[in-house]
Amino acid sequence: MESQNPALLIRGLRFRYGPGSSANNGAANSHPWVVDVRALDLAPAEQLLLTGSSGCGKSTLLSLIAGLLEPQGGAVVVAGQNVHALAGARRDLFRGRHIGMIFQTFNLLHGFSALENVMAAFLFSGVPARQHRSRAAALLRHLGIERMDADPDSLSVGQQQRVAVARALACNPVLVLADEPTASLDPENSAAAIGLIQSACREKGAALLCVSHDPSVASRFERVKAFGDLNPTDSFAISATPR
Amino acid sequence: MALTDFTIVRRSMTARPFSTVTTIITVAVAVGLMLVLLSMRDASRQAFERGSGNMHLLLSRDSSPLVSVLNGVFYANAPPRPITWQEFRALTDTSNPDNFVAAGLDWAVPVQLGDSFRGLPVLATSADFFSKFRADPEQPWRLADGRYFERELEIVVGGTAARRTGLRIGDTVIVTHGLPRRGDADSAGAAPHEHTEFRFRVVGILEPTGSSHDRALFMNLESSWLMHAFDRRLAEDARAGVPTVADLQDRDRLITGVYLRVVDNRAYQAVFDALRRDGRFVVAAPSNEIKRLFDIIGNIDQIFLAMAGVVMVSSGIAIMLALYNSMEQRRRQIAVLRVLGCSRPRVFGLIVTESAVIGLIGAAAGVALASAGGLMVSTVLRQRLGLVVEPKMPMDAIAAVVLATIALASAAGIVPALVAYRTPVAKNLKPLG
Repeated sequence: MESQNPALLIRGLRFRYGPGSSANNGAANSHPWVVDVRALDLAPAEQLLLTGSSGCGKSTLLSLIAGLLEPQGGAVVVAGQNVHALAGARRDLFRGRHIGMIFQTFNLLHGFSALENVMAAFLFSGVPARQHRSRAAALLRHLGIERMDADPDSLSVGQQQRVAVARALACNPVLVLADEPTASLDPENSAAAIGLIQSACREKGAALLCVSHDPSVASRFERVKAFGDLNPTDSFAISATPR
Repeated sequence: MALTDFTIVRRSMTARPFSTVTTIITVAVAVGLMLVLLSMRDASRQAFERGSGNMHLLLSRDSSPLVSVLNGVFYANAPPRPITWQEFRALTDTSNPDNFVAAGLDWAVPVQLGDSFRGLPVLATSADFFSKFRADPEQPWRLADGRYFERELEIVVGGTAARRTGLRIGDTVIVTHGLPRRGDADSAGAAPHEHTEFRFRVVGILEPTGSSHDRALFMNLESSWLMHAFDRRLAEDARAGVPTVADLQDRDRLITGVYLRVVDNRAYQAVFDALRRDGRFVVAAPSNEIKRLFDIIGNIDQIFLAMAGVVMVSSGIAIMLALYNSMEQRRRQIAVLRVLGCSRPRVFGLIVTESAVIGLIGAAAGVALASAGGLMVSTVLRQRLGLVVEPKMPMDAIAAVVLATIALASAAGIVPALVAYRTPVAKNLKPLG
């Protein structure tokens, strides 16, 4: 089912902050739309870069796709499942199983080893407990992390990023959302990091939606879209009003 | 080993060791206090009840039944006014058909209190004290070593007294006439003096009974009468020699109390009424007097328990504050867990579990603290008040306090758990600054 459905399908997605931002109506809300996406499709294993300036709403879009924010309208369908049609714990479980997220600051869990950070991804996704350690270790080893018991704080920035990538891909997600993954890195490391994320997603067959305001990243993607681009005729049309 | 929810709880606790440890100590102190108070309350009641053993009534010439029990059973003071041996004989004379008291008695054990050894009371009594009276109603007296006294100048040492004095079989004891003042084992009472002329030999060491009698030494009545006869004779003639049993006069043969046991319930009422009507004695039902004593101090008990309850609730508030304050630092971690698929109820559960675990560890530490504290309090009570209190923590009380603590801790976790539950995820994933 997942291989036939698009990894991501967005239709008429609208979101703005302010009163009723979590509800399905934006009545009596004078705030501008932060996200107003008419349509966006991503085929399985496809990789797309969304560019745009800081604060334009790219991260908000990713949160909406992950089901962490409630849109005022529209639909986000991941692997055939309307994310916002799922309620509460079922949506969380769906996210844990099918969507991986990578952040600018990695957001690794402090006080947990590199291995445990990856194992944490299995904890909430229904993977049998006996597989957690071996699968996490194999993934880290594949990504070149040897000091698996080390606290992430003691690892280099590049290694921390690898742990974050391993965690995002641990459950073999359909879709990986990368939010400014190179913003904390120098140009050299930045290229390596994007290369790592892309190749890891490719190996796992996961689609990648990367948002970045870093122009140097664009050359690495076959498909690049500007967040602010409004193109109603394009099947990947995105309309956004900057905050 | 796979990562579990409990691993997350454990890491969260160890990530803030100072806060966790201080919170656990707060809970432990509250639980310890509560358990010590509960156990001491039961233990002191038991200690008091054990002292009167299998006696039904206590006869004396004290000022009131309660004083009679405190003196006659707990060795508080020597009763000032004695009962003569003739009175005792008449009271227990079964040959007189009009003697309703004697007819209703199972046994009567005469006791005489007024001497001491190194601050410990020495009770003069008859051999029936060991064969008929039982300090612990469940158990007859048992000897750790030696035998009971059979003649004058033989002494039997109670279990606690033996431990405190180090006396052994064959040791010589010189008895002091007079009891030490309460609460100060080293200072003497009214004109105490040693009877060096009478050298007692230790013939028996008793097993402890957990009663007030454990800290006493025991000799026969004639031994005590001889010392008192000697004092009387010296007062009359400074050159008087040491008397023998043959020299004893009726005025030397004095006792301070009689332990009584009646044959049945009907006899109890008859004997009790007859003795009260008699008017010459104070008759006390020790169990009633002890109950009355506890009714008096029961209120204080409840105040203490209420205070311990307040301390428990405060410890719950301490848990809540510690977790609540930690929420600010943990927003990002909670947000990351949510991204990984952790549901809101599960986040809520993690925080409540952490709170409950703090409660559980605190309660366990509190039980340990209470055991140590109970031991300390019982030692102080024994040394300062001479009250043998064995703090026993009944399992059901421990279980109740531990469960109540966990419940309280879990409840204390609800507010921080709600904060965690409501943590906005998207907002807390953004880079700092």
